[in-house]
Amino acid sequence: MSAVIEIEGLRKTFNSVRNGRRVAVDGFDLTVGAGEVHGFLGPNGSGKTTTLRALLGLVRADGGWMNVLGAPSPTHLSQVAGRVGAIVESPQFFGNFTGYRTLRLLALAGGVPVSRVDEVLAQVGLQDRGDERVKGYSLGMKQRLAVASALLKNPELLILDEPANGLDPAGIREMRDLMRSLADGGVTVLISSHILAEIQLICDHVTIISRGRRVAAGRVDEVLAGFDQHEFLVRVAEPERAAELLRAGGLPVDVHPDHLVVGQVGDPTTISRLLGEQGLWVRELTALRPDLESVFLELTGEGPQPQVPRQVDPGPHDRVIELDAGVGEGRGDDA
Amino acid sequence: MKLVRAELERLGARRFVQLMIVLLVLAFGATASTTLAGSHRPTAAELVEARTQAAESRRQMDDVYQRCVDRVNGNLPPGAEEEYFPADCGEVDPVRQERLPVATDFLPGVFVFSQQAESLLYFLIAFLVLFGFLVGASYIGADLNSGGVVNLLLWRPRRMTVLGAKLGTLLGGVLGLSLLASVVYLATFWVIGQAAGFPGHLDGAFWRDLGAVHGRGLVLVLLATVLGFALATLGRHTSAALGTAAAYLVVWELGARLVMEIVDATHPERFMLSSHVGAWLSGRVEFWDASACATAAGFCDRVYALTWQPALAVLIGLTGVLAGAAFLVFRRRDLI
Repeated sequence: MSAVIEIEGLRKTFNSVRNGRRVAVDGFDLTVGAGEVHGFLGPNGSGKTTTLRALLGLVRADGGWMNVLGAPSPTHLSQVAGRVGAIVESPQFFGNFTGYRTLRLLALAGGVPVSRVDEVLAQVGLQDRGDERVKGYSLGMKQRLAVASALLKNPELLILDEPANGLDPAGIREMRDLMRSLADGGVTVLISSHILAEIQLICDHVTIISRGRRVAAGRVDEVLAGFDQHEFLVRVAEPERAAELLRAGGLPVDVHPDHLVVGQVGDPTTISRLLGEQGLWVRELTALRPDLESVFLELTGEGPQPQVPRQVDPGPHDRVIELDAGVGEGRGDDA
Repeated sequence: MKLVRAELERLGARRFVQLMIVLLVLAFGATASTTLAGSHRPTAAELVEARTQAAESRRQMDDVYQRCVDRVNGNLPPGAEEEYFPADCGEVDPVRQERLPVATDFLPGVFVFSQQAESLLYFLIAFLVLFGFLVGASYIGADLNSGGVVNLLLWRPRRMTVLGAKLGTLLGGVLGLSLLASVVYLATFWVIGQAAGFPGHLDGAFWRDLGAVHGRGLVLVLLATVLGFALATLGRHTSAALGTAAAYLVVWELGARLVMEIVDATHPERFMLSSHVGAWLSGRVEFWDASACATAAGFCDRVYALTWQPALAVLIGLTGVLAGAAFLVFRRRDLI
């Protein structure tokens, strides 16, 4: 599968008199293959938006190289800009322009037939609100308008930064369906988001960034598999006794008030056999699979910790989190 | 071309631009209606009377000059010596006056187009300069501040082209509006002069002079537009341009002028943009300076002049430097 987006060793540092020097992206790599719906995850301040802005030529990278649809970015970005639809962060529009006029002006500037405006308004569910001024739009409607502006070009590659921002549950589902239908039509989609459940539902590939560096990348199922501890939830009549029997059988066990969590289970029938031989019958045996949220929290160190106040991602760390085979820092075969 | 078309539509759709045009129309309407209300078409008797008064006035000027010459030659009749005459009779020589009294000087309550067209045009130019500066600043300032430029760059990722198209469109739009406003404005007052006043002497020289003022005014309007655009681009916000303009006026034109007067600086007016604007518009402005004669040999009247050529060089130089800096900064700036 050919790569539609390639980023290698991207570095960006912001210098300001007030805030000093801040490393936003520190040797970041990203590869998005053609036809993928690729999730781009990271905590606030981890470098997601800076990466996308650098890719789209809005900020100047300090190092690394980037390719979009085969064209080096930003030097040759204009050659492929007509095939790339993008929204970056919360897009702003002139409040006094109608949604229709906003899109019409973009269509005129980009040489897109103005007839596309009605099509994309319908595509994002704004067909009846296009004649209203944008200042009367809700956040979700503005978000839809932004997506419409990205779709206007009929892009081969769609880059969306937090597209579900401000959308209600129905809107999020519509957006998900839209992304899926675009992907089915052959459009490559890169979605930056922190709504992990959505990413897991929409995306087939994922890259996770933390403190300006890639900490995981690959197919969603492969990334999750890398974090599978092969744990099972077990409900049984005498949990304390059952725990002893399982430990004696060589399995690590965590005892909870109403259930056990048994790790390193290669074959779940081992549990039934070990307990059944001693007359203990298993009432429930459920595999505990990792979800994207738990993987994300583990990789980014974002999980709640006692006595430690939560803060945005403070910048690159020296320690690279080691991952299981198939995912991790420095691998280039994740596409 | 598509980009320019889109930008032209965006410019015309801006609320601020529409508001400024409404203000222009209102100011224009108020000026025209008060002129119309305060003027009447002179009767034949008023015209005859005015011509008589003008002739009498010219005759008196001749008379004063002649008596001045007579006094110098010692030919004044007895009793006339007490009359005041200047030492140099050339000062009252009618031939050396800029203009002689004409009939239209003696038509009270009558709008005379030939006499008032230039000052009316200056008013229009002043408004258009303000219009150009404010619209230039808000056009790019609001776009930078609202993310409109980022949206556009996602479509056309060529910064210089986008900024250049914006500035070009802005200048074209302001120039078009200025030309249209000037034509409508002058035509309206010409009609008022014809129908409810007096047209005056409208020969080729009059139209040439008026055209020259108009041309210089339009150049000033365009320079102000570029200036507003450049300052707002550098400061990323409309208010940056307004703040810079206000600070310049208070700190430099008022404060520095005062300081220069206190320390007796030589030719302080040449450091003021307002002096160069005046010199460009009128072709030449003269200033009195006590220190002007410090190095002069022979006669010196303590007056020095600024002419339009260096004034234009200063205005274009300043605007060019700021516009160049704006493009350079925009080319390298992180749009976050």
